[in-house]
Amino acid sequence: MSTSPEAQAGARRLPGDLAMWWFILAELSLFAILILVFAGAQAMSAETFAASRRLLDNSTGLALTLSLLTAGLCAALALEQVRRARPRRGAWLLLAALLSASGYVLLKLGEYRHLASRGLGLEHDNFFTLYWILTGLHFLHVLLGMLILAWMAGRCWRRAYRANDCSGLESGVLYWHMVDLVWVLLFPLVYVLN
Amino acid sequence: MTASAWLILCWLGLALLSLASVQAGNSGASTLLAAGVLLAALVKAWLIVERFMELRHAPRLWRGLLLAWPLCLAAGILLSLRGLA
Repeated sequence: MSTSPEAQAGARRLPGDLAMWWFILAELSLFAILILVFAGAQAMSAETFAASRRLLDNSTGLALTLSLLTAGLCAALALEQVRRARPRRGAWLLLAALLSASGYVLLKLGEYRHLASRGLGLEHDNFFTLYWILTGLHFLHVLLGMLILAWMAGRCWRRAYRANDCSGLESGVLYWHMVDLVWVLLFPLVYVLN
Repeated sequence: MTASAWLILCWLGLALLSLASVQAGNSGASTLLAAGVLLAALVKAWLIVERFMELRHAPRLWRGLLLAWPLCLAAGILLSLRGLA
């Protein structure tokens, strides 16, 4: 067995398309800037942020988190099924991911409506300005992710992906995991940290 | 253990860490608790990057970039909270 660096490098594989990874990197950079702006603004107006954060329901935040993570699990399991040459099962799992993501959308819209009805809009204070920008941008990414999941479910159902040739599916699933990854940092920052 | 079983196990870990974060957030406000919540977020990010995004066996550059992203942000958030204390 060869253990040369060349052989080891050859064994390392980046799933999905390289273009998707560059896109993910660009998206993560954008969210990193916004998250650090939020953290910086919090350092400058701590009391405002603490008082405004208390107006959010962190159990809703937890439910949002579980919806996204469950969708991520279903998407990852779908990819696993396609790799085992079971595309129809993959399609069902992608539909399950879509259903779970729909739970996130409904919960988030409910939260947005509740906050708007209490006058906690974009201009209420610094916390809510950044809350709406950050979570709103993330929400748009979730909607795009759901479109991708639905499109991939259709392609799986038509057996368009092969067990050994499914980099398109990998790329779409990676996009969803990127949305999850961003939320993993957004959730404590916006809902939990006092 | 099959790949699917690993994924389900990771999801369980992610769900439990999320629940623990909320419990920690509800139990008070201190730098130590904040550090614990951020540590839980880092473990969650690590699980997503390594298992869900399958970067465990990816080229080191991409794996490093994706693992560095949550680490840098958690450090930035913690520093900003330290500034408040």
